[in-house]
Amino acid sequence: MVETVTLTIDGLEVTVPKGTTILQAAEAMGNRIPHYCYHPGLSAPAQCRLCLVEVEGAPKLQASCVTTVTPGQVVHTQSESAKTQRRGVLEFYLKNHPLDCPICDQSGECKLQDYVHEEGRPKGRSREPKRVLGRDDFGGDVLFYGDRCVMCTRCVRFMNEQAQDPRLTVVERGNRSVIDTFFEEGVEGSPYAGNIVDICPVGALVSKDFLHKARAWDLDRIPSICPNCSQGCNIELHVRDNLVQRLKPRDNPDVNQHWMCDYGRHRYEWMNRSGRLLLPKPGEGRHAGGNGAGDIALAQSLPEAGSWESVLGDLADLLVDARAEGAEVRAVASPFASNEDLGALRRFVDALGGGRIVFRSPRTDEELPLPGFPKLVRRRDLAPNVRGAELLQMSRVGSDDATGGLDDLVGFEGILVVMGDDLDDMAPDFGAAARVFAFLGPQVPRQLQAVTCLLPTVTHAETEGTFTNFEGRVQRFWPGLHTHGEARPAWQVLDLVAAAVLGDGTVPESAAEAFQRLADDHAVFQGLRYEELGTRGALVNDPVPLPGA
Amino acid sequence: MPATVKVLRRPAPGQTSYLRSALKGMGLTFKHMINPDKVTLQYPEEPLELSPRWRGTHVMEVHADGRPKCVACGLCPTVCPANCIRLVGGEDDMGNRYPIVYEIDEFRCIFCGMCQEVCPVEAIHVGQHFENAEYTRERFVYDLDRLMQQDHPSTLLWDPSDPRSE
Repeated sequence: MVETVTLTIDGLEVTVPKGTTILQAAEAMGNRIPHYCYHPGLSAPAQCRLCLVEVEGAPKLQASCVTTVTPGQVVHTQSESAKTQRRGVLEFYLKNHPLDCPICDQSGECKLQDYVHEEGRPKGRSREPKRVLGRDDFGGDVLFYGDRCVMCTRCVRFMNEQAQDPRLTVVERGNRSVIDTFFEEGVEGSPYAGNIVDICPVGALVSKDFLHKARAWDLDRIPSICPNCSQGCNIELHVRDNLVQRLKPRDNPDVNQHWMCDYGRHRYEWMNRSGRLLLPKPGEGRHAGGNGAGDIALAQSLPEAGSWESVLGDLADLLVDARAEGAEVRAVASPFASNEDLGALRRFVDALGGGRIVFRSPRTDEELPLPGFPKLVRRRDLAPNVRGAELLQMSRVGSDDATGGLDDLVGFEGILVVMGDDLDDMAPDFGAAARVFAFLGPQVPRQLQAVTCLLPTVTHAETEGTFTNFEGRVQRFWPGLHTHGEARPAWQVLDLVAAAVLGDGTVPESAAEAFQRLADDHAVFQGLRYEELGTRGALVNDPVPLPGA
Repeated sequence: MPATVKVLRRPAPGQTSYLRSALKGMGLTFKHMINPDKVTLQYPEEPLELSPRWRGTHVMEVHADGRPKCVACGLCPTVCPANCIRLVGGEDDMGNRYPIVYEIDEFRCIFCGMCQEVCPVEAIHVGQHFENAEYTRERFVYDLDRLMQQDHPSTLLWDPSDPRSE
């Protein structure tokens, strides 16, 4: 039982756990007290002097970020003295601020802009010339504009407390004080340094990658899951013009707290890749096996790019014939596919008599933990859903750069389904011996010649679904981009074909239904409900971390 | 209630003359011919004098060294109600933020002047200009170079001596 304290903030009574600060208690009731130096993931030095509030009985205004609540305390955040204090502090913040909002990347998500707009003075009274510092390259992805800085020292404290790699400090005193680096290389090489850009409340630290790219108010922010390692950090896709412009971390205390690594942060370009498979179509080369004459007739009867109905109908016919003759089935999955896609593939393969499903996943030897929050690690598996694939009895093959391992499929003569793996390292005649070779993926395969049927699917940025992270946490992502061409989610394609082959008409109509069926089919997912995953996810029934993950 | 219809009988051909009406009309014409208060303007020989608040095709102001004054802040595409401004910002070799692409589709533009009003650096203006004919539709998308070359005077959205219309 947590001990609680009841106090009054702005006339409203609130009960919070003992030890909470006034600022956190106010935030819990939806009353956001302006602040710069306080950040929930860092220590609070109470130096920005913006969160001062009036506490009845206290002789002076109290810094709400460090004052813990006491029973019966009466707090006024909007009293005349608190407001005057904030207005005065904000005027001093603008004393040396260049007011270059039109060219500042933070404009639109800047706390100085917000607070001054809310309660600052409409005009400054200072007649002194402003201090000019220009900009400084802090190394890595970080640029520093000293003039815009409000000296909250969040960046210094992040490097000291979370990254535990002191690279930044405050030099000089008084109004000449400025953030600086110890060494020439700045924050270069620190794997979590990108977070100092996120936590900077103003435009002092900006990302080189995002510099001048888009305005904050133009971006659509879509909750998603980082697809670059099996940690499954909660992120936001910031989208403009149907292109992902940047990734930002999203709070999840169970996975990544407030942070994400630079490795994941800067690997978003592939979501914007062109060269997409737009329409379902029969493969260019047709497979060489079987009755040659029949193949030519079939090739002539099929259009170059067909409708989904015709292509899937033809594929289903081929599969029915192959199944009648007892053809084996094998599949290659991808750890970048969602649980729904993998579940549909498992169901599809089982419906055709069952067979081995393999996947290839990029992997590295290096783990990059965040010392201040050791649970957050850039994991060794560089794909989001390795755990999900393994829970569905798919086996990892190939080497650490996701190549090789498919030698036993080269001469395979049954039904071959490839989902999400572009097979770029394989010979052009890969799958030529297969009776049916269905390829599902977002990109046009550059190498493959012998595909029976090319089925365009969406990437995780374009659809909704779930990933299972390294510890078995099932987390949802939401669609952020428009689909290219007629691409569809892979689970839908596979379920349509399976329904046509089996003559069983039930096809899930949404990712939620697809997930529900996955939960019904597999004991590890039993009891999970898509709607209840929320933004924090839920653990599967067997939450054992992957060996060596 | 049924409407009452008055039937007028048309005069039979040959029984009427339009001469009286014709003379009446010509009388008015001759009266205007000798009237000193002419309102007709001999356009295009006599150019039309536009109001200082006339809002026409845009002008981009330039610095003395020929650079556009625009800093690519993105406020004009944001405020534009017709969504006719396309802007891609970037950084030049001096480290200044500038528009790599700045296009205004003058066909979409509704000439409200909000881009001029919102501009923090007084770069984009609507202008006192109305002769915009072109041979192709594409020519109505003015790019940055063309906007910088416009030499007509820019619009005063308000009277400088009375900025609040008091």
